[in-house]
Amino acid sequence: MLNKNIVKLAIPLAVGALALTGCSGDSGSGGDGAYKIAFQGPLSGDNVALGENMQNGIELAIEQANAKGDLDFKLEYVAADDQGLPDKATAAAQKVIDDESVVAVVGPAFSGPTNTSSPLYAEAGLVTVSPSATNPNLTDPKNGFKSFLRGVPNDSMQGAGMATYYAKKLQAKKVYLIDDKTDYGVGLASVAEKGLKDAGIEVVRKAVPQKTPDYSATAKDVVNSKADALIYAGYYQDLAPFAKKLKDAGYKGAGISGDGSNDAKFVELAGDASENWFLTCPCTDATVEAGTKKFAEDYQKKFNRAPGTYSAEAYDITNMIIEQVKGLKGDVQREALRDALAKASYKGLTKTFSFDENGEFKGTDVYLYQVKSGKIEYQGNINELVG
Amino acid sequence: MSLQEFWDYLVLGVMLGSLYAVIAIGYTLVYGVLQLINFAHSEVFMLGAYGSLIVLQLVDPGDNPSALASIGFVALAMAGSALFGGMTAYGLEKVAYRPLRRRGAPRLIFLITAIGASFFLYNLAGKLFGRDPLPLPEMYDNHEVFSVFGAGVNITQLLQFATAVVMMIALDLVVNRTKLGKGIRAVAQDAEVAGLMGVDIDKVISRTFVIGGVLGGVAGFLFANLNQVSYTMGFIPGITAFAAAVVGGIGNIRGAMAGGILIGIVETMTVPLLGDEWRSVSAMVVLILVLMFRPTGILGQRVGRAA
Repeated sequence: MLNKNIVKLAIPLAVGALALTGCSGDSGSGGDGAYKIAFQGPLSGDNVALGENMQNGIELAIEQANAKGDLDFKLEYVAADDQGLPDKATAAAQKVIDDESVVAVVGPAFSGPTNTSSPLYAEAGLVTVSPSATNPNLTDPKNGFKSFLRGVPNDSMQGAGMATYYAKKLQAKKVYLIDDKTDYGVGLASVAEKGLKDAGIEVVRKAVPQKTPDYSATAKDVVNSKADALIYAGYYQDLAPFAKKLKDAGYKGAGISGDGSNDAKFVELAGDASENWFLTCPCTDATVEAGTKKFAEDYQKKFNRAPGTYSAEAYDITNMIIEQVKGLKGDVQREALRDALAKASYKGLTKTFSFDENGEFKGTDVYLYQVKSGKIEYQGNINELVG
Repeated sequence: MSLQEFWDYLVLGVMLGSLYAVIAIGYTLVYGVLQLINFAHSEVFMLGAYGSLIVLQLVDPGDNPSALASIGFVALAMAGSALFGGMTAYGLEKVAYRPLRRRGAPRLIFLITAIGASFFLYNLAGKLFGRDPLPLPEMYDNHEVFSVFGAGVNITQLLQFATAVVMMIALDLVVNRTKLGKGIRAVAQDAEVAGLMGVDIDKVISRTFVIGGVLGGVAGFLFANLNQVSYTMGFIPGITAFAAAVVGGIGNIRGAMAGGILIGIVETMTVPLLGDEWRSVSAMVVLILVLMFRPTGILGQRVGRAA
């Protein structure tokens, strides 16, 4: 399978190389021997905390690599802010593509922006490795997202994990399932719905668009539906006011949400109302797992706060990229780096990163968290928890 | 939908609608005296919310304040939002609209300026206060106080509704019973003639903006109290309230109240019947229907003739 892909890629590559011989012929390295690693994700806008978590992880990895002194090139960081919005994503991607010294992109962070910007990256041959875009459709070969690699188990795993947890551990009878109408939310909710139905649980599926001005009526609807459990597939900015309204409406059942809400900001915004909420994530807690303790300390020292969701994963992916850049020994072309990364396997602090022929992550682990006394507490691997 | 559910949603709808009504009054007042749609009003609303947040961060309610202290914190937060809202509206009039009026600019220019001022203000707020949403500190222990037709009403909702009603009644009295109100009505009816009769038009316009700004700012606080503060929070409630003002008959204060409550009820009722994704759609359907059959809105008359 891989060989076939290489042949397929080799033809345009060869043609491209011939066409470029007349010009400078160098799309990779910058003039001063510096390679740039970019990040595309929300660095302003509504869900900025999620973007900053990753940005910090990347910056830390780059700083450490430069400081080690065993590189014969310099690494630089470039930020491309897409605000987490699909309509801002193409501009952000174009900015990165036009900067000739960018050799790889960590991100895009969210599924919607990944969907709109991936055709551009594919055309430019610039590899993107996302630590967090989890919509299952992104790796569908029909899309032709040839430069997209996913460094995280997709929502089929996360949604299925939620469904399993509800079915086996909480033994829910009726689940109220909400998506926020984003690519991420709809994808996650659809998988969860299927998992719940397969387990024989009754599902009420609703869509509540982002930025709904008042969640009171929705909360009332949840209570009136007599559901004993709730799944919210969306981001913390919207879940927080919703959780407050649920508490006001007297909802007593369980609540679970995914990695889009798994941030300390959720607890800060929702206050008491966030208590006991379950949060799933394909990410581990860097401050708890043994492998990432050292990373968590370095992170705390540099940014004066604990690493958040996907900080450690973004750090790992950056290091994976750096390793491949080193392997190419001074002649880093975008396509060559993409092909090298697609084949590579890298053992990071959090997990081992490797990809199948569609760029899908190989691996399925999803972890469960729960808000307890105002803190998001790590519970462990879902599959192990349900036993 | 059972009867009990109907009452539940109706009560929620009236609560939300009363907030829309207070914002809608800001649009209507300004339109009444200037025939100008102040699209920057949603930013007055947003900055009002930040005003209350700043005040609350200064005084810091801490955990579990006593009942009396709670009332004090709410009053302070409200004053902060009123101050911010009023100041923003005053500044807008002074910087964005008055120079244009002096030069007799055409109406379209005002509209564009309003939209420009709106973009400027919300991006400025994002820059100043950060682009992450912020929670309003808890000022009191929110619990159910009483019920209407079996639908429970908690403190936040009561506060929201009561403040809105008090502000609306006060405004109605100001416009219909005071000298300033007479001035507002006079300018609304015919600014030129009012000027000839000795009404200081600039002063009246400026005060009208401030009144609208104070109401908008307080609505911003109430909204943030039920939701959260963010620099983008103004847009959706702002547009919805604008629709409410048009439904009620733009330029008519009582119309804005009626329109606001109607839109609030329609939006809330949509949630159990059609789902959340339809709430804005149904609000706009109401707008279109009203405009089709009664282009001036339900109570379509200008401020000057409403009393």
